[in-house]
Amino acid sequence: MALLEVQNLRTYFTTMEGTVQAVDGVSFDLEEGEAMGLAGESGCGKTTAALSIMRLLPVNGYIKTGAINFNGRNIVKMNPVRLRKMRWKELSIVFQGAMNALNPVKRVGDQIIEPMLLHEDITEEAALKRGKELFELVGINPDRINEYPHEFSGGMRQRVMIAMSLACWPKLIIADEPTTALDVMIQAQIIRLLKNLQKELNLGLILISHDLSVLAETCEKLCIMYAGKIVERGTSIHVFKNSKHPYTRGLVAAFPNIKGVRFMPEPIPGNPPNLIHPPKGCRFYERCKYKQDPCKDNEPELFEVEPNHWVACHLVQAGVI
Amino acid sequence: MATDTDILKIENLNIWFQMRQGFLKDIMAKDIKYAKAVDGISFNIKKGEIFCLVGESGCGKTTTGKGILRLVEPTSGSIIFADDETDPIIKKLLESEAVVELEGRKGIDLRKLTRKEMTYARQRIQMIFQDPYESLNPKMTVFDIIAEPLIVNRLYKDEHDKERRVKKALSEAGLRPPEQFMWRYPHQVSGGQRQRVGIAGALVLSPSLLVADEPISMLDVSIRGEILKLMLDLREKQRLSYLFITHDLSVAYVFSDRIGVMYLGRIVELGPTEMVIKNPKHPYTQALITVVPKPDPTAKEEKIILRGERPDPTNIPHGCRFHPRCPYVMDICRVGQPAETEIEEGHWAECFLLSPEKEKIKVPIEVKAKTKKSEKKK
Repeated sequence: MALLEVQNLRTYFTTMEGTVQAVDGVSFDLEEGEAMGLAGESGCGKTTAALSIMRLLPVNGYIKTGAINFNGRNIVKMNPVRLRKMRWKELSIVFQGAMNALNPVKRVGDQIIEPMLLHEDITEEAALKRGKELFELVGINPDRINEYPHEFSGGMRQRVMIAMSLACWPKLIIADEPTTALDVMIQAQIIRLLKNLQKELNLGLILISHDLSVLAETCEKLCIMYAGKIVERGTSIHVFKNSKHPYTRGLVAAFPNIKGVRFMPEPIPGNPPNLIHPPKGCRFYERCKYKQDPCKDNEPELFEVEPNHWVACHLVQAGVI
Repeated sequence: MATDTDILKIENLNIWFQMRQGFLKDIMAKDIKYAKAVDGISFNIKKGEIFCLVGESGCGKTTTGKGILRLVEPTSGSIIFADDETDPIIKKLLESEAVVELEGRKGIDLRKLTRKEMTYARQRIQMIFQDPYESLNPKMTVFDIIAEPLIVNRLYKDEHDKERRVKKALSEAGLRPPEQFMWRYPHQVSGGQRQRVGIAGALVLSPSLLVADEPISMLDVSIRGEILKLMLDLREKQRLSYLFITHDLSVAYVFSDRIGVMYLGRIVELGPTEMVIKNPKHPYTQALITVVPKPDPTAKEEKIILRGERPDPTNIPHGCRFHPRCPYVMDICRVGQPAETEIEEGHWAECFLLSPEKEKIKVPIEVKAKTKKSEKKK
């Protein structure tokens, strides 16, 4: 049985202008110890999907339909008490923007031991000891445990966030844009750290990023999201080397490869659709360079082009492209 | 595209910031402490060229860009700007006292201009800022934002003329038809269009040199290419030259003609893009290139991950400033400042490993053993 199974998840937001269909029918699964990447442009629903799994949506957001089975239990139907017991103990999240995600007036040590004290029958001393071990694990000098967040640099703060997410040894970590605001060198350090931890602790990892090249280097599986839907899903090698969906192809072509030939990255003209009134047919229709009449009115479903490689596109299905 | 004549020549530029240590300490201290953001850099930009400065944050690349426009005051050095002498603005500037000789032509040392003259000179040197979400005033319409430089410089005859110029700048920046965008507020246009507004604001004065500070790093990947294409188009049509500042080596690789790699206030390697990327000589450049994420899941390249974080410009290491993080460090590196060495034509790097007397200086520490060791420590 898979560690995490997301089935037909729909997460909507109520706003003044109307209902935003931020995540609209997303399904994927993740095995224990597997790393999956979730990629897409800003506003495509990747963070919303992550927050839905944690059930940490803002007040105006709600899960309309769908099931999120974690270890066989449905998170969507879970009552708040059970949920609180499970968060951090079994699945945790590294929030976007490490620079601002820590409480500036509390020592990092106190912030790390907080979930331990809440979830486990453990003394403060023992918790602090584990906190120091965690610091060691993520490559920070354990003596710094009594410092405040402002005393750490950006990369170090990100390490603190990762240490914190590991506090109760969860089985699944969701990392939301963990390297976006960091320099390339620090980014490489953090990615190597995540990758090593994932292997050592046999963690399930969902890595959310707009940067496909980061995901290419870390994840075995990839989901490409566009306007609230998954348009392509498969192993990283499938998605990069044998991309099928026109959007995936565009995205892959938009990344210059420093080891490859020198060519200008190809833009994808246009903007993503408004998700309050999403288009009836294929959501990529307006920006697609292969678009044909049937795409306009019929919504494409995911279908399997080769084993474990799914694409939602009429034209691929019909063999046109 | 690049010609042979320089439009900008920077020599030995220093931008230091005095460190405040408290009132009493400041007046009593014998030696003033400085944060040496830019510490003796020299480079030139040719007419029509895209010169790219890359490096980690805090290496001084943005300070260099701002120093050229004197948005921060350089401490010493010269910034010589030389453009078409028939241009009325250049002509007028050449009457000032800042005229210097540059390869048989007349140039203007921007550092010697008065504040007023500098404002005037900025009509030909403009800047594009990083974050189009923060660099545009949310209370001004696109029209007002773009018209502002015209008002500051009193460049329009009447309202009609002002509107004509704004429209022209908007359509040059690819916001067509301009009427559709002119009266919108920044929140009413998308991210890519915002950056185009920023570019239009620079273009309205018809500059010849643009300092572009990370113009695409805040944009979605799918629209980055559009902005780069626009910048290339403008170079063709308006004979623009660029100083392109970025932390993203892969963008620099596809976009620029020449690259300067900055580390802690100095340019450690400089040369034509293809040479620097395909044949990097400085250990820092080599490391940077290996850590750039590649959009290829099958790539199996060993990454050289440097330990430690952004170095501190207030406390620059002795000797070669890269030595505490260098995987190839030798004894000499801790003592002396390496000289610039030319590797191929126009390709320079500052490193003792390249000096011809390298063998005589000291036997370098076994490279592989050293890297493996630092890996283990992590």
